[in-house]
Amino acid sequence: MAADTANEFGQVSRRVGIAFRYLLLASTLVGIVTLGFLLVYVFNDAIQPLSADPGWHLTFFLTLVLPGLATGWWCLQRGYATFTTGLVGFFLPVLASLYSGAIAALFIDVIPTLVWLAFVVAFAVPVGVFAILQQPTVDLPFLANVALIGGSAIGSLLVIPGLIQSFPTVPSGWVVLLITLGLPASLLLARNLSDRWGQRQGRIAGLVAFLAVGAAGPLGTATGFGAIPAVVLTLFAGVPTALYVAIVVTERPALRHGLLLPAVLVGGSLLGAALVSAVGFAGPESWVDWSFLTSTVQSGDAREVGIYPGIVGTVLLMFVVAVVSFPVGVGAAVYLEEYAPDNTFTRIVDVNISNLAGVPSVVYGLLGLGLFVRYGGARSGTLIVAGATLALLILPIIIISTREAIRSVPDSMRQASYGMGATRWQTVRNVVLPRAFPGILTGTILALSRAIGETAPLLVIGAAQVFGVPDSWSSTIGAMPLQLYVWASTYASPEFYTTVLAAGIVVLLTAMLTMNSIAIFVRNKYQQR
Amino acid sequence: MSGEASDEPYAAGPTAGLEGRDLEDRPEARTILESRDLSVFYGEEQALQSIDMEIPEKRVTAMIGPSGCGKSTYLRCINRMNDLIDVARVEGEMLFNGKDVYDDDVDPVALRRRIGMVFQQPNPFPKSIYDNVAYGLRLQDNTENLDEKVENALKKAALWDEVKDRLDESGLDLSGGQQQRLCIARAIAVDPEVVLMDEPASALDPVATSQIEDLIAEMAEEYTVVIVTHNMQQAARISDKTAVFLTGGELVEFDDTDKVFENPESDRVEDYITGKFG
Repeated sequence: MAADTANEFGQVSRRVGIAFRYLLLASTLVGIVTLGFLLVYVFNDAIQPLSADPGWHLTFFLTLVLPGLATGWWCLQRGYATFTTGLVGFFLPVLASLYSGAIAALFIDVIPTLVWLAFVVAFAVPVGVFAILQQPTVDLPFLANVALIGGSAIGSLLVIPGLIQSFPTVPSGWVVLLITLGLPASLLLARNLSDRWGQRQGRIAGLVAFLAVGAAGPLGTATGFGAIPAVVLTLFAGVPTALYVAIVVTERPALRHGLLLPAVLVGGSLLGAALVSAVGFAGPESWVDWSFLTSTVQSGDAREVGIYPGIVGTVLLMFVVAVVSFPVGVGAAVYLEEYAPDNTFTRIVDVNISNLAGVPSVVYGLLGLGLFVRYGGARSGTLIVAGATLALLILPIIIISTREAIRSVPDSMRQASYGMGATRWQTVRNVVLPRAFPGILTGTILALSRAIGETAPLLVIGAAQVFGVPDSWSSTIGAMPLQLYVWASTYASPEFYTTVLAAGIVVLLTAMLTMNSIAIFVRNKYQQR
Repeated sequence: MSGEASDEPYAAGPTAGLEGRDLEDRPEARTILESRDLSVFYGEEQALQSIDMEIPEKRVTAMIGPSGCGKSTYLRCINRMNDLIDVARVEGEMLFNGKDVYDDDVDPVALRRRIGMVFQQPNPFPKSIYDNVAYGLRLQDNTENLDEKVENALKKAALWDEVKDRLDESGLDLSGGQQQRLCIARAIAVDPEVVLMDEPASALDPVATSQIEDLIAEMAEEYTVVIVTHNMQQAARISDKTAVFLTGGELVEFDDTDKVFENPESDRVEDYITGKFG
């Protein structure tokens, strides 16, 4: 009887639904699989893994891959948080080293350390004046404040650089970096860690960091690595890594096993390298090697060319783009979200910003050419022109993502602040911006990683197609994507396509993907709060 | 703390408050807030119909009524929070210590520093407990003896004992009731003359609600409290005066609380209070 009733329900056909589901899956995979094929090809060309001795592969499989996988699996068993701790512990030093390399390149080739010192001191003076004026005991009218800060800024910028550069004796490059970067970083570290671990420990940590950075200078000279790279690497990669390890060990002891993962990965690579060189297994004839990364030669010879000028150009460009577009974009977004009245003008601006985000990048190139070169009188293809053009290009993206971030701040926060008698400025500064900041940062990094790959606007504004390392702010400049374009057009040959071009793509993609992963990391970290 | 005198009548059950607060032993209260012919429009729609009301100093005045009757609108007129809504328009006068707050020479920001506000949803800032309470003081550059002022405000809000060891934890890590008391501490840290409360307990559980009610009773020793509530028993328990708004933004009755609840003049108010509608 019961069976009869059950049978009466019958079956409802799901065939269409199932077909639909797999169609959706297929359309999801089309793009990913195609791109995956391309990347495999490119990486194969760039790194040529098959050219290595089988013994080389076997050695690294046994020393690096197997232990790495085993440790990773073991960490996952202990918990996802342990695993991510290990991943961060591995990628933090790797990414930080990559970026320190770029920073070191700037100090070696582009900015003389003396000029850097001069400008740091020149900027420190108005900042000091500002700090003094912020003291509660100093009570000057607002306009007097502005005049003092502005006056000291202009005065020190005019006087101090010349003064410092005329000193009879000047400190060597790494000492300058130690004073201008290492000292403030150590002080900041000491202060922040004092809040977390107590004053004594914080001061010791700051002192240790400072001494480590200081010791790196002579050590770098002695080993032939170079004093400036050693100092930069210690400061931007060594100190953050040590700090991360220290924080995990002291504040999250439950997750400390995750640190085994980076230890195994690094140890495995070193062990593998030692074994391979001892036995004499040949490694792959990779095109992404030290000479490719550091060579400045631009010619048709695939063995000689290097991407170094492109890397330096891209780093400088990104710096200019960030400095120009971040304040302007965030400023516009804050105005539109927090201040702008709801009227026709605002709505026109609204619609047009969305449209501007979709304008083809070559049009921005023409805009830059017309605005900065024809009217502004700048030399075409210089760093400033290229940077400003790319900044215009990503401005709408920054504005849109910043507005999104500001809109996600709950209105109850603003109400609470206004209800306390805060002015609009106080509300924006104390409540809205701090809360929206992770979102703003993520959006900006993603926008920058779009700018890093742009070629068309650079071509239009006449950026150099064959270029060396820029040595001043007004020298013509190229960038990584432009270099790839030149390799694919001017020097086009089958050999170039399968070797140097692939290696260049790998470098460009690495730079872009690291930026994106930093953005994702920042977003996830602050979303958990 | 000054709790003993006021604890006894309000800690009792919901009906105890129906006798109202004992006003006889206190001198006649001065009027601190007075609205004259106050009307509010949201675009075309009129949200308040020429309200006349006198709110006494250092007393608890409750405003009750069904949803959409304009009681929150009235509250937000007092510290000009309605200014933040573009379409809102106010007519008539709202006198604070005899001065119309809608006069051209009144700065709404300065006004809100003297009239604090607590909202329906606890809305602490995503900052530490300490920074939450210090927020208003820092806005006004009133940072002398900051620690002491923060401690006092937290004590007055009956939160000090629960948070004194974790002042640097985020205000959002507290429970809902603690968050609301933190918001009250934040409002009274700047020592306002009036504290406006917009259904401060409606998002809380009964225990947290009764803590907030005790607190409000104590606050009336020092501050004028104007509270909007949905809960008639709550109004009866904690308030000295009660204003009943009915649909359409009309003030139907305003009198001593015991009078309103025991012997209302208007039949509509009686219907509302006895639960026939609303």
